[in-house]
Amino acid sequence: MIMTHPGLPALWGMVVIGGMVILTLWAVITPLPASASAAVYNLTRVPLLRGLVRYLVSSPKILLALKLVFVVLFLLVIYAGLFGSQIPERNLATLLTWNIWWAGLIFSVFFLGTAWCAVCPWDTLAQWLVRRRLWKRAEPNNSLNLRVPRRLRTIWPALLMFIALTWLELGLGITTNPYATAAVSLLMVVMATSSLAIFERKAFCRYFCPVGRTVGFYSQLAPVELRPIDTQTCADCKTLDCYYGDRDTEPCPTWLVMGRLKQNSYCTSCGNCVSSCPNDNVAWRLRSPSVEAVQDARPRHDEAWFMIGLLALTGFHGLSMMPFWETWMSQLARVLHDSGQLLPSFTIGMFGSMAAVVLVYALFVAATRWLMGNGVPFRRLFTHLSFVALPLAFAYHMAHNLNHLVREGVGIGAVFLNPLGTGMAPLSMMEKHARHFHMIISQDSLFAIQAGLMVFGFWIAVQILRHRGRALLVAAGHRGGSWRLAPMLGFVVLMTCFHLWLLSQPMMMRM
Amino acid sequence: MKRFAQFVFAITLVALAASASAHHVLGRPAYSLNEDSNTPPSMQVETQIGNYFVTYMVFPAFPRAGEPGRINLYARNIDNGKPFTGNVTFTARDDTWFDTAKPEKLGVQVIDDNVFRQGFVFKHDGDYIIRAEFHDGGEPYLIDFPLRIGQPSPVGPLTLAGVALFAVLVGGSLFQRKRLQRDRIRAAHRDERSHSTREEGVS
Repeated sequence: MIMTHPGLPALWGMVVIGGMVILTLWAVITPLPASASAAVYNLTRVPLLRGLVRYLVSSPKILLALKLVFVVLFLLVIYAGLFGSQIPERNLATLLTWNIWWAGLIFSVFFLGTAWCAVCPWDTLAQWLVRRRLWKRAEPNNSLNLRVPRRLRTIWPALLMFIALTWLELGLGITTNPYATAAVSLLMVVMATSSLAIFERKAFCRYFCPVGRTVGFYSQLAPVELRPIDTQTCADCKTLDCYYGDRDTEPCPTWLVMGRLKQNSYCTSCGNCVSSCPNDNVAWRLRSPSVEAVQDARPRHDEAWFMIGLLALTGFHGLSMMPFWETWMSQLARVLHDSGQLLPSFTIGMFGSMAAVVLVYALFVAATRWLMGNGVPFRRLFTHLSFVALPLAFAYHMAHNLNHLVREGVGIGAVFLNPLGTGMAPLSMMEKHARHFHMIISQDSLFAIQAGLMVFGFWIAVQILRHRGRALLVAAGHRGGSWRLAPMLGFVVLMTCFHLWLLSQPMMMRM
Repeated sequence: MKRFAQFVFAITLVALAASASAHHVLGRPAYSLNEDSNTPPSMQVETQIGNYFVTYMVFPAFPRAGEPGRINLYARNIDNGKPFTGNVTFTARDDTWFDTAKPEKLGVQVIDDNVFRQGFVFKHDGDYIIRAEFHDGGEPYLIDFPLRIGQPSPVGPLTLAGVALFAVLVGGSLFQRKRLQRDRIRAAHRDERSHSTREEGVS
């Protein structure tokens, strides 16, 4: 018997639709804005927080302690996966990795940007193995320091890795297999270590890591950023310690120059720039959560594909957990004469779903271009408008993951007491039912947050469309005429409605 | 008082009847459960092949060497929902890349209450492939599914990861050492050349 989580009630669905209608009307009536609010608040200016923030950022001991904690947990996951019980809901490896970390990671982005990358155990272990130092700069750095081949210096490898990870997660079902979870964890360490030992700086973090890039792109919507305090100080800087590092501090792992930094996408929050800046000119600051995606981030074609890929994959995550997905796969399997785990059918279904999202997006872009009078190349429109996919994917990703986190993360305390699940029987139906009634937050609160997230995603997407759309209209030689952006507004409405429909369906329990 | 006594008597009767009934419904106590019981934890997989929708369950969920286990297989026609009523042959073979041994027949089972039941006892821990085979409409139906006996070996992924890390780190170090040595030799040659040029200039 398969247990399902209840979907979002119709009442909350109506609230979301009401919010969408109001925001759409506002977007249609109000003239397009010239620029977004760029108000920022430097955390080092807060009297009480100043000292604490400076200490947290500049002290390597705090970061090292956090890294140690996460490395210990990561090694425990590997140990439990390989040596523990293979009952997924009783083993720390599956529960901590998929129900807590994988589901909760997105929420850390919402509040802390790319902070996860700073304590990532894959990179920490790779760093310790290759550099052979717990912290501080290692010279020589024991790496071959080869340049990453030009063809790989894009976001494509990370997108392919993310697709592969999704296939392993949903197709092969490693989320319910502690052994496979541990094996994949080990594989990620091997890949991070190999990359660090062969290529210069942290090519794995910058080009290959699916988690790092997902976190990086979503953090364009985070309310925090690491930026220079005074831009003139950076303009006058001759040493570029943030880029090259200093005697004790490693250089920026992802080739970023602080003076020119406009987006969080590739920052790993490692704090090297804070430690190495001779002028103490780098600090954390608060900002409007949408400003980067709205206007600061530079559009690039490969990044556009990554953002559309995120939208497609998050939707696919939801789709594959619907009870009717199995019926679809069963029907496809009959056509294909597929048998067994139906992996070929699943693979076709997965790529078909992804292709459908890309195709729909391309069609709406083409319609927008037609209304604009074909003054702007299709490729440019495809790239510039792809930012609208980011908040839609982010909002649905959080709303979907909230179900996993709140409803399936309940037994984590018991699993910490017995991480290997020794002597435990699988979760009985009665225990599964009991978990439904002992959620971390109440069901009504869960629904309210999910509805709020959907409206939030829609609102940011509309903002992005209005700002980026205005620049494109100007480039196409139109001074006004926001109606020409109507097809893209239609895309935002369509995708939000699709996500809302997915949320309102009962969702299959992962374990 | 009499009414109270009647009430107590009635309650006692109901309580006794309830416990007797409950005992009857529950059947055997938990400690006597074995592979033939429907209640021990099981692994259940649903799959589809040709015109049949097949469900198989393995009892217990994580069988061990030397302990009896059982496979239950249900096959129903996708179009009309009717169960398959012929014979099903179960075989087992090692799930290894280079296995040349012939599959071992576990048994041929007939339908019993819409279920094909096949018992097994494996002598050794390991990964096996169980094949359930039947014929319908002149077509052979082969359903392969993996069965793990005992805990999976932790050595595989650990060894692979260890070897890969060792190769990368040692290989990288050797290459780096050679490169440094080459750079040093080049630098020495350069120094030597510039030194001799200076000396020639002085003389």
